[in-house]
Amino acid sequence: MNQVISTHNLSKRYDDTYRVININLSVCEGEIYGFLGPNGAGKSTTLKMILGLTKPTDGRVTVFGKDLETNRHFILSKTGSLIESPSYYGHLTGLENMRVVQRLRDVPDKNVEEALKIVRLDKQKDKKVEHYSLGMKQRLGIAMALLSFPKLLILDEPTNGLDPAGIGEIRELIKSLPKRYDMTVLISSHLLSEIEQIATSVGIINDGMMVFQGSMEDLKRKSNPTIMIKTRNNKLAQELLFQKGYSPTQHGDFLVFENLTDEQVARANRSLIAGNIDVLRIEEHKKNLENIFLDITGKERSL
Amino acid sequence: MKAIGLELYKLRHKRLLLMVTLFLFVEIAWAFMAASMSISRNPNNAEWEMLIALLSSMNGLFLPILTAICVSRICDMEHKGNTWKLLLTFSVKRSTLYAAKYISASIIMLVACLLQALSIIAFGIINGFKQPVPLILLIRFLIGMVLTNMVITALQQWVSMAVKNQAFALSLGMIGGFIGLAADLFPAGVRRIFVWSCYTGLSPVTQSYADEKIQFIVRNTGSLLPGMVALAVAGIAVYLAGSVHVSRQEV
Repeated sequence: MNQVISTHNLSKRYDDTYRVININLSVCEGEIYGFLGPNGAGKSTTLKMILGLTKPTDGRVTVFGKDLETNRHFILSKTGSLIESPSYYGHLTGLENMRVVQRLRDVPDKNVEEALKIVRLDKQKDKKVEHYSLGMKQRLGIAMALLSFPKLLILDEPTNGLDPAGIGEIRELIKSLPKRYDMTVLISSHLLSEIEQIATSVGIINDGMMVFQGSMEDLKRKSNPTIMIKTRNNKLAQELLFQKGYSPTQHGDFLVFENLTDEQVARANRSLIAGNIDVLRIEEHKKNLENIFLDITGKERSL
Repeated sequence: MKAIGLELYKLRHKRLLLMVTLFLFVEIAWAFMAASMSISRNPNNAEWEMLIALLSSMNGLFLPILTAICVSRICDMEHKGNTWKLLLTFSVKRSTLYAAKYISASIIMLVACLLQALSIIAFGIINGFKQPVPLILLIRFLIGMVLTNMVITALQQWVSMAVKNQAFALSLGMIGGFIGLAADLFPAGVRRIFVWSCYTGLSPVTQSYADEKIQFIVRNTGSLLPGMVALAVAGIAVYLAGSVHVSRQEV
């Protein structure tokens, strides 16, 4: 698949602190790429650099196969974006805000109508935006990003401030974009549950560094269940099971086994009993994505 | 042109022109009340020079404040709605946006200046001034006023764009208004430093007191020209410095 976005050792330093360090992000055509990370991990800074809003300290950004620095105008003409909080002119109506963007994008009237309809603001379009709720402002921001039906859509935390019904709606909308309008979507979030349901690929950033990048399937594969066995004498049990071809690791009071079938578990149990080692517990532990995420980011802090 | 059109479109519902007109109305009403009193005391005072000199000195107080408000309202909407990012992602150049805002503000202030000139003509005709309408004098009055406005607009725009909190820009406008009003009391050397003193400094008519009587003297163009050139150069420098500084700011 063609790469739509690729960054090479992208870094950004503010004063003496690196906010983003050597990010090699790769988004392929037609993907919904979920860019995950805790608050302050460097997601928005990375997205701003991809859009040319912030100059990288080091590294380079390529979009649609072209270097961002020399082809910024071409790239931005094919890219829609919503960065951080929604941008709007509060004293203008929703429709007038869209008209401002329409003039900048040079697109026909029907695009305005369609974009407003997609985000369900067509009935509120004549209301001043300062009277909109946060969710409505967010939806207006998405409509502005969609206005020219660009090839690439970059959305930074687009469901911020939306109620659960709104989140569901935006999720379904984003999911439909690649097929319906042939778009590639890069969406950032600090909520794994949100990305889990829509993304086909994932990048996880923590403290400015990319700690995981791959398909959603790769990430989910990390959630294979583990079998944990507790015996009266774990040391002896470990030696015995090594001889039988198992490779358990000691983890607290338990021996931990990866990727065991039911039959293998039963055989291990039989071997331990035959070796006169009392088996106290056999437990299956399934990691959910939240735990994997915390494992990868290495901290159990608020996301 | 497209960028200027867009700026003017974005000013919808702001009622900026209405605000400018009302503000100006207060100034003009004040000036003309003073003129009417002066004429009723001495009908010989009914001359165009008096009107121009009066409005020039009142402009020193009113126009810096009006310019500050006008520029602040044009610039503040980008800060309030976080729209810098939005515009930049549409590949709008910051220098183009800066120029479009500057031109829009200048157009609005030009309308204000023209309104003043028209109101002077209307007042003179209504009060039956004997001399014909002094077009050259009015044009010179307009040039001085517009030039000073343009420099003050450049200064105000720099502050309004660079500092989000518009209280700074508005305070600067008010300080300017005070300096503009008190300009004639400063020594000539000090006066030259303050751009706000140019409303009276570049006025084609000046007032002087002789024998406890106020006299209005028409200055020749030659004496004002060096001041105008210096002001224009200062204006260009302030504009360019503002544009470069704002373009380099992080969003």
